Amino acid sequence: MTDYFTSPALRTGALFVASGVTAIGLSAGIAKADKLDDIIASGTLRCAVVLDFPPMGSRDENNEPTGFDVDYCSDLADALGVDYEIVETPFPDRIPALVSGRADVGVASTSDTLERAKTAGFTIPYFAFTNVVLTREETGIDGYESLAGKTVGSVAGTYEGIQLDADIEKWGEGGAYRPYQSQADVFLALSQGQIDATVVTSTVASSIVESGKYEGLTIGGDAPYLPDYVSLITLRSEYGLLNYLDLFINQQVRTGRYQELYEKWVGGDAPDLTIDKSYR
Amino acid sequence: MFDYTFQWRQALRYVPDLMDGALVTLQIAVLSMLIGGAIGIVLAVGRTAQSPWARWPATAWVELARNTPALFQIYMAHFGLGSFGIYISPYAALLGGIAFNNAGYLAETFRGALRAIPETQTRAARSLGMPPIQAFRLIVVPQMFRIAFLPTTNQMVWAILMTSLGVTVGLSTDLTGVTQDINARTFRTFELFALAAVFYYVIAKVVMLGARLLAWRLFRY
Repeated sequence: MTDYFTSPALRTGALFVASGVTAIGLSAGIAKADKLDDIIASGTLRCAVVLDFPPMGSRDENNEPTGFDVDYCSDLADALGVDYEIVETPFPDRIPALVSGRADVGVASTSDTLERAKTAGFTIPYFAFTNVVLTREETGIDGYESLAGKTVGSVAGTYEGIQLDADIEKWGEGGAYRPYQSQADVFLALSQGQIDATVVTSTVASSIVESGKYEGLTIGGDAPYLPDYVSLITLRSEYGLLNYLDLFINQQVRTGRYQELYEKWVGGDAPDLTIDKSYR
Repeated sequence: MFDYTFQWRQALRYVPDLMDGALVTLQIAVLSMLIGGAIGIVLAVGRTAQSPWARWPATAWVELARNTPALFQIYMAHFGLGSFGIYISPYAALLGGIAFNNAGYLAETFRGALRAIPETQTRAARSLGMPPIQAFRLIVVPQMFRIAFLPTTNQMVWAILMTSLGVTVGLSTDLTGVTQDINARTFRTFELFALAAVFYYVIAKVVMLGARLLAWRLFRY
């Protein structure tokens, strides 16, 4: 019987393999945990949610965060097996909230523009908005074209705000565009008469008209924009988390939970999130 | 923990836009100082007047302007007046708000300066046959400006920095408004705000140095 372990060549080989195994083990141990690991390890998922954007995010009568995005965050936390925490984030602060580490994921109706994707990491769309004109009854505005020459406004830097600004400038005729810092300021300005109309997502418009919080507001027709696909966002480099989020969104649709949440917060058929003749 | 790659080239493309914004910022600051300064003199005289009809409104203005936040004053000029059906543009609301604030602070600066001028100056002028208004205009006011000049430049710097509050009432043409607008489109938050900070710093510094130079030229004994 050959004593393998006395053969110098074999002994060296065995040592080599053993040290290799140890090295792999060690390197796995000291490998940098990514964001997905961090969230699971910390036991809490922190979602950046905009809370003046009903029905996606708002506060209920007890001042607790509520809305589609809050439920979506809660579902995501369930899937990850952790608790969730809502970090209230105004629209312009979504990226700073992620980069400064105050929040892990932005569940905040973020339009997936190519310009922004250079900075933030976008998932596949989790929701899609269509836009409508919201105005006061006495302005006589009855369609998107009749906004020409009017003073209008919307939340600074939103998908609809950027297009409205561009169209107002194109039409000229003395029209003016005013960007406000929050949705609440836009509604206040509209109800006071500071601006004649705004373009907002249809969900927000119907929610605000129904709430009766501002009297005399009415929907003045559709805005002819492409559907505003919105994604979850996180840091651009967090591929592990982005992959997980993509799968999560897919599962939300597949299991009918997306339709269920849409029914609960908006009503009717949930918008299609797929794009014809394309993959994503 | 700061996981972010700075892309200065992307942000530097917007420097011309920021430059335009800086001009608007400077314009609002200068106008607000001129309006605020003019009202400030009236308030300073009003506060030292014998008649309560002059003293009370002036005191109320100064108290309100100095003891409430500038943000509140600007917000009130836009949404506060708006709720009474008086609509002024974001530009006018910001200018009005800062001018209101400046007037309050400058009134106190001027009042202090007035106090520092000996009463005997006015009496000497009067004894030379000057009417009260002329004595005030030719003898007191020039000396008041000399004393109040450097504190006034402080307020000018304040005015420049206060213009950044215009975004809260929907102004998009000043330095902060432009920055915020580009930020929303590109999400290059940190580069853009750093650039804006440099712009504010340079403007404030240039104003300070310019004022020193001017004071040195004007007020040399």
